Amino acid sequence: MYVRIESIDFGYTKKQTVLKDISFSMVEGEIVAILGSSGSGKSTLLRLLSGLEIPARGKIEINEETLCSADTFVECEKRHVGMVFQDYALFPHMDVYKNIAFGIRKYPKAQKRQRVMEMLDLINMEEKIHAYPHELSGGQQQRIALARALAPSPDILLLDEPFSNLDADLKMRIRHELRTIMKKSGMTSIFVTHDYDDAKDIADRIVYLENGRIAYEENVRHQ
Amino acid sequence: MLSRIKRNINVFSVISVIAALLIVIPMLNILLEVLSPPSAAWVHIRENLLNAYIRNTLLLIGFVAVFSALLGLFSAYVVSRFEFRGRNLLSWMLILPLAMPSYIAAYIYADMFSYTGTIARFMRSANIPLRVNMMNLSGAIFIFTMTLFPYVYMMSRSALSSQSASFSENARLLGANRFRVLSRVVLPLLRPALVAGTLLVVLETLNDYGVVAYYNVRVFSFAIFNAWFSLGDTTAAIRLSGVLMLIVFAIIFIERAIRGKRQYSMHVKGKPVEPKKLRGISAFIVPATLWLIMALAFFIPLAQLFYYASLTFSDVINANFIFLIINSLTLAITATAITVFVALMLANYNRGTKNRFKKGLLKVTNLGYAIPGAVIAIAVMLFVHGIDRTLYPVYRLFNPDTGRLVISSTLIMLTFAFVLRFMAIGYNSIEASYDKVGEKFTEASYSLRAGKLRTLLTVDVPMIKHGLISAAIIVFIDVIKELPLTLILRPTNYNTLASEVFRYAREEMLQESAVPALVLIGVATFAIYYLTHYNKKGVAANVREN
Ligand SMILES: Nc1ncnc2c1ncn2[C@@H]1O[C@H](COP(=O)(O)OP(=O)(O)O)[C@@H](O)[C@H]1O
Ligand SMILES: [Mg+2]
Repeated sequence: MYVRIESIDFGYTKKQTVLKDISFSMVEGEIVAILGSSGSGKSTLLRLLSGLEIPARGKIEINEETLCSADTFVECEKRHVGMVFQDYALFPHMDVYKNIAFGIRKYPKAQKRQRVMEMLDLINMEEKIHAYPHELSGGQQQRIALARALAPSPDILLLDEPFSNLDADLKMRIRHELRTIMKKSGMTSIFVTHDYDDAKDIADRIVYLENGRIAYEENVRHQ
Repeated sequence: MLSRIKRNINVFSVISVIAALLIVIPMLNILLEVLSPPSAAWVHIRENLLNAYIRNTLLLIGFVAVFSALLGLFSAYVVSRFEFRGRNLLSWMLILPLAMPSYIAAYIYADMFSYTGTIARFMRSANIPLRVNMMNLSGAIFIFTMTLFPYVYMMSRSALSSQSASFSENARLLGANRFRVLSRVVLPLLRPALVAGTLLVVLETLNDYGVVAYYNVRVFSFAIFNAWFSLGDTTAAIRLSGVLMLIVFAIIFIERAIRGKRQYSMHVKGKPVEPKKLRGISAFIVPATLWLIMALAFFIPLAQLFYYASLTFSDVINANFIFLIINSLTLAITATAITVFVALMLANYNRGTKNRFKKGLLKVTNLGYAIPGAVIAIAVMLFVHGIDRTLYPVYRLFNPDTGRLVISSTLIMLTFAFVLRFMAIGYNSIEASYDKVGEKFTEASYSLRAGKLRTLLTVDVPMIKHGLISAAIIVFIDVIKELPLTLILRPTNYNTLASEVFRYAREEMLQESAVPALVLIGVATFAIYYLTHYNKKGVAANVREN
């Protein structure tokens, strides 16, 4: 299995339990939707996978690397995990080029430029290379955030409510576009949503989260 | 779990813990020294003087608190809720009295009201049989109110302008009249800002030494200096400091209690209240009142200083004077840079934490601002003397003829005290900007595999740049005006603008003090102007509000 999550427990404080006994696995290239109502712990799960929070118990393994277990913890900045934040968190003081290049600082200059252009090509936004985030629409910002997360070729891509800041019209269009981009890049992805239609249209499989526990799973597509 | 502990060790935590220790140890030292056997002088002070010190101190801070709260609240309310000519100008000028150090205002007012002073002469020639003596408790209350009320003004104004119109509009829709809106909605929402501003005024008043020494008002900082310098009695000075610290803690405790737990700063989006145009007689009286306040707090003393400067500048300005300015600026810039740097480390260390240990550490390091300069000075001095004593054998290795006090005779001691005292100011400004920005950008940076240092330099610092700049400017203004720490801790023959102004005034050479005083006020005025005008140029425009 490419992603293996075993019996994760977590609470922000000692008394609280936000996630309880979370286990699931994914094969490479799979897109999984985590579906649950607001407050069910979806964002928290992504924060655990990206290393922004430490689970109280359990094990996380991605691409044969143990990121977290009883005796290891790999910090967020050392993980190969890409994340698209709910409100995108594009750096407002950097233009599109700098935002996308931020995660590939160590590439040689020419290669860095080439990678950024590849990403812009993928999301079809080459002309916006020198725009600043505040000059972009919500949908454009979302695609830049996606490109930024994909640029360092992470082992896995996490998306937190990727549609919550878009209006309904745009959402319909972007939903298919997003799946196309994700499949084209072959990226193993987990995305979080509270909307069944989002989940159904994009994911290969849906994991239902209820009150911090996995209620059941449903295959949407056969690969 | 070891990984958890390891995760917590980084550049921020190491610097924070060291800074906290450096701040806590001198303070604990003072509290411990209180337990040492009392001296004869202390017994004398306790039996005969302590009650008067306590009474005078409480009277002083009580009246100053009430008057500056009224003045600050009035001016903030008028400026943010009414439209009149000169409103924009007044809205930043009302901060300017902070550029006038209390002690300078005190010298000038005492002089103007003295028998030969400008005002007394004017009154005699106009046959007004009114004699005002400034040099007493009431005079000190006037001076502190006039020079410190801008703290209340600033805090209240920013609270008023962020108060969304929807609160008042809703109240009015619910049938409340104007007065009820003010008393039931606007003022209660303002309470935390009002209390916080007043607390600053009280702490600054307790900190002062220049005014009370000149006006001979026997309050604590006066007593501490007196015990230390005139009586040479360390134990008595330390005990007085201990009592003063207890008073300060009591005040902070009261402030917390008044402020309460209710949340006032709820983020409600919506337009701010539209200012109402003043009409009729009030269109004249209200602005006139504000200008009168400005005149008393700033322009009148300033005019007198300019007059004195015109008489003396040719004698005062020389090579020494240039050195004086360079001294002051270098010292202030160094202290500011260190303070802001440590504050930034602390802010990073504490960001978004719920950890009790970290929060406690922070509370302690931020106590410095509450503790009056005289107390900090003595604490730092004892601490550094202690280090010198311990290191004496080491000094001997390098230089057999070395004196005992090596670090104590350098500027390190004074700079350290500045950092300790003004840390909280820097920290609060930085923390406020971090709060505004949130943590998502930092987290995004980590998720893109940028390390702690790179994230700090390329994401955090650029995003809170304006908070950092304001922190630096505010600390800088405070350091350059600072008197009690400078007087006690500067190396022999090292003078700053502030200490020089104090010396001239002490030696009844008020006219000679005008030029250094004006330079001081000029620098502070410039800093305030920059601070109030810099942030307006739409800098935050590209930080999208989500
Ligand atoms: N920083 C935090 N501190 C304490 N509790 C939190 C924090 N963030 C989220 N929670 C709590 O954890 C639970 C799950 O939150 P979250 O993962 O954000 O849910 P979702 O993304 O599914 O809406 C909620 O009950 C929320 O109140
Ligand atoms: Mg969420």
